[in-house]
Amino acid sequence: MVTDKGVWSRLRLRLLFTGPTLFAFVAVMIVPFLYGIYLTFTNWDGISTTQSLVGFQNYGSVFKDAEFWKSFGLTLKYVLFTVVFINVLAFLLAYLLTKGLKGQSFFRAGFFLPNLLGGIVLGFIWQFIFNNVLVFLGQKMGIGLFSTSWLSDPNRAFWTLVIVAVWQYAGYMMVIYVAGLTGVPGDILEAASIDGANGWLKMTRMTIPLMVPSFIVCIFLSLQRGFMVYDVNLALTKGGPFKSTELVSMHVYQKAFLSRDYGVGQAEALVLFLIVAVITLLQVYFSKKMEVEA
Amino acid sequence: MKHVNKMKWFILSLTLILILSACSSSGGNTQSANGGQNGSSGGGIKITLLNSKSEIQPQLEEAAKAFHEANPTISLEIQPVPNGGSPFERASTLYASGNPPTMIMLDTGDVAKFKDRILDLSGEKWNADTVDHALDLTTIDGKNYAFPLAVEGYGFIYNKAVVDKAVGGNFDPSTINTTASLENLFKQIEASGKKALVVSPMDWSLGAHYFSLAYAGQDKDITKVNAFIDDLRAGKVDLASNKVFNGLMDTFDVMTKYNIDQASPLAGTYERGPELLGKGEVGIWFMGNWAWPQISSFDTANKEYGFLPVPISNNAGDYGNQEISSAVSKRIVIDKEKSTPEQQDAAKKFLDWIVYEQQGQDFLVNKANIIPAFKNITLPAADPLGKSIQDYISRGKSEQSMSDLPADHWANVGASMQKYLAKQSDRAALAKEIEQYWTNVKE
Repeated sequence: MVTDKGVWSRLRLRLLFTGPTLFAFVAVMIVPFLYGIYLTFTNWDGISTTQSLVGFQNYGSVFKDAEFWKSFGLTLKYVLFTVVFINVLAFLLAYLLTKGLKGQSFFRAGFFLPNLLGGIVLGFIWQFIFNNVLVFLGQKMGIGLFSTSWLSDPNRAFWTLVIVAVWQYAGYMMVIYVAGLTGVPGDILEAASIDGANGWLKMTRMTIPLMVPSFIVCIFLSLQRGFMVYDVNLALTKGGPFKSTELVSMHVYQKAFLSRDYGVGQAEALVLFLIVAVITLLQVYFSKKMEVEA
Repeated sequence: MKHVNKMKWFILSLTLILILSACSSSGGNTQSANGGQNGSSGGGIKITLLNSKSEIQPQLEEAAKAFHEANPTISLEIQPVPNGGSPFERASTLYASGNPPTMIMLDTGDVAKFKDRILDLSGEKWNADTVDHALDLTTIDGKNYAFPLAVEGYGFIYNKAVVDKAVGGNFDPSTINTTASLENLFKQIEASGKKALVVSPMDWSLGAHYFSLAYAGQDKDITKVNAFIDDLRAGKVDLASNKVFNGLMDTFDVMTKYNIDQASPLAGTYERGPELLGKGEVGIWFMGNWAWPQISSFDTANKEYGFLPVPISNNAGDYGNQEISSAVSKRIVIDKEKSTPEQQDAAKKFLDWIVYEQQGQDFLVNKANIIPAFKNITLPAADPLGKSIQDYISRGKSEQSMSDLPADHWANVGASMQKYLAKQSDRAALAKEIEQYWTNVKE
């Protein structure tokens, strides 16, 4: 039986540790989220002092907004390519950089570095590269592919986004894979070699199954970042040329702040949130089942 | 145990309530705290101005200093809108955080949105001294809410040194009043060994400036133009058969044909335009008088530049063929929610200072290169582009720019125009897209 005094002192202790975090979480996540849900039912334009409730009309507009679904489709394509390329490249890098190469810590740091740059700065740097450096080289050396700016062609502009994202995140995911790779017990691999398993078998039957937790984390992170990307999209292509690379976050933002349709924009954000939540939860749920014990 | 659980929930919900109420009351507190801080503490009045004309930020800061010297009790701080940001977005964020500036520089179309939060300025003396129609778009229910800061105009800017050489003598801008004569000039420039023009592919330039001419050119009477816009919203306009639209796009086709960036028309940037024009590598650039500071830094034509109208037909007498599009563009409004009466008075004083004090006028015209929207300011425009626009206005050859189009017009119509420029769509598709935009637009 716990006395009242005990409850109080325990609660005091809990509040001391969790209180600040709880406060921050409620103040900056829960309250704005609930208020955001409320705003999806209004026709607010972002500034006026009056707003009226319009029921589910905004959600109706979300489903009628062809541009939203177009940019959502484009985002799916973007997510698919970035998730695959980031993880393949990151795994390869991690594999090479755990073999005991000379200066491998230096390389690890080097590949991780892009992740430390802010997305906006990064976007501007790559914009300069695609618009000026590559075009200059392409024209001087007669490489047709680079003689015009990649950012002025809808299809190529999409690939610039993928390239920059892969460049930015591969190093980050590499760090997680490096941790996973070094965590694979050496004795199992050694036992496998004695039994005559070759490198490929060891990789597919031992190492990868044991690294499922790393894959779960990396794929989750790259999925979520892919869906939510905004900064690089804004700084690199601004959604152009002619809105052909407008990913879904940017569309939501434009809807709320440029078209001044805050209610619809907020509703689109909520729909997006739900879709991304479902996709990532499914991913984690199903890949958890693939985990094995060493 | 049950007892403990109940207690836990009670305490937890109590904490939540406390936190929530702390949040809401802190909102209230900041208001009064701000009032004390910004208000008359320390004897001086502190006011702020959100500046959305980033090209005049240093000039405004200097003006703030001069104003402070003339009025030692008032100090004015200029806050810039981040580059590429929209003033509406920035101002609404500041309002949402409960910390709006005393004065906000807005685009014309935004003023009505802020009407509940800004001061009615109808009683100010300068209302009587504005140029014609300057207050039409910011007057709501008979009350004017905004101070007209600048007149801006746009069209084809020509480099006189280049066109003089091309026509073999003193170039007369009034000879360009049809699409054919414009094309002829392009040909002459190309024959003289220079490139004819550069088309800058920014969506705001193509959407808000170039394409807007299709609306404004419909009729000399602005009410008929507004009726045309209403018809567009109602889906009653067939753009593809519209004479002005087709004429304007004919001119655009000619521009595309002589564009220096023809090979990759969307790769150009704004910065490229003034450099090519100023250095005389091209003769003509479609842009407005705000570009003067950038052009002047590359100037090779001894500051001789001017505007040509954008022709919309081959009949010289048609409306629009001799007119330059111009309008009052930037407006200053005063906050009434969080500013104290002293701050509001100080802000009004600053507006008066611009219009009536010699120093203020000097700032406006000579330092910031702005064409004033006030009749009482007689200083001539300081730069050749401003002079050219003033000249068109004084001859009655000006066409109202469409400055209160829906906020997302430039981005959407601009995108359609970029597609057309890059030859990814044709005229019929362009007309369809724009009709579609209008039938779906909010408001």
